[in-house]
Amino acid sequence: MNKYDKYLIVFIVISSILMYSSMEWFVRASTSSQTVAVVTFHDKVVLRIDMKVNKNYTVKGALGDVIIEVSNGKVRVEKETSPYHLCSIQGWVQYANVPIVCLPNYIVVMIKNGTVNPDGTDVNTK
Amino acid sequence: MKKISQTKRLTYLTMLLAMSILLHMIEPALPIAVPGIKLGLANILGIIVLYLFGIKEMLVINFMRVLLASLLRGTLFGTAFWLSMGGVTLSSLMVIILFRINLFSKIGLSVASAAFHGVGQIIALIFINQTVMMVYWLPILWFSSVPTGYLTGSLADQVLKRIRLPKLMVK
Repeated sequence: MNKYDKYLIVFIVISSILMYSSMEWFVRASTSSQTVAVVTFHDKVVLRIDMKVNKNYTVKGALGDVIIEVSNGKVRVEKETSPYHLCSIQGWVQYANVPIVCLPNYIVVMIKNGTVNPDGTDVNTK
Repeated sequence: MKKISQTKRLTYLTMLLAMSILLHMIEPALPIAVPGIKLGLANILGIIVLYLFGIKEMLVINFMRVLLASLLRGTLFGTAFWLSMGGVTLSSLMVIILFRINLFSKIGLSVASAAFHGVGQIIALIFINQTVMMVYWLPILWFSSVPTGYLTGSLADQVLKRIRLPKLMVK
């Protein structure tokens, strides 16, 4: 092993550490810890809602407008057009593992980066 | 410098190719502490051929090794084949460049070869899986190339010191 080999080895070790730390930093930076509600229509994200701001949002569903309300870190579907109104009956949702699904409208509301329901329930069927 | 006959040369190359295929094929069976990392034992033969015969012969040995080993395994044109192919292409290229520069010893060549084998594999994986996320594996492969490359390089060095072949490389 000559000195150029040693340079090469040092270069590889340093660059691998640099690569690893920059990727780690990039991953940390790109995944924000902000809690958002993601609204999808036909599996495409149409709206990202900041859960800290109390506000009403309107998205277009398959059967008409769907009004989503955010209040005190909780989200609900306030009004929508569907045969049984299941998603507005579901009411307020605040946990990441409880989605709101408006099947006739193809609208799904899911909370990202939020806390998980402590009792482990994800969906209640009635 | 003693020149050997073409037949003898072919025989030597074929035997070295057989050895490299053997190492390539038994390597997955070796227990290694870290998953996802291979020693790259077949690279020893690549380095030996490079020093005994030359660049062209090393390329032949490396590509034939990947082709024949995957043919024998039955994974020709499968994922593993393209991974090996990507790795071997880039690592051979790097070895040729460094060999031409003529600054590095066998260990340096081997480390660079191992490192760029990883890069080639990652590039192949990106094309196969259609995701750039595979890049996250690169630092680990890159780092692990130092011990594995050192090992294979020093093994090749020792073999070349002990080997009783006439100098086959014609300059």
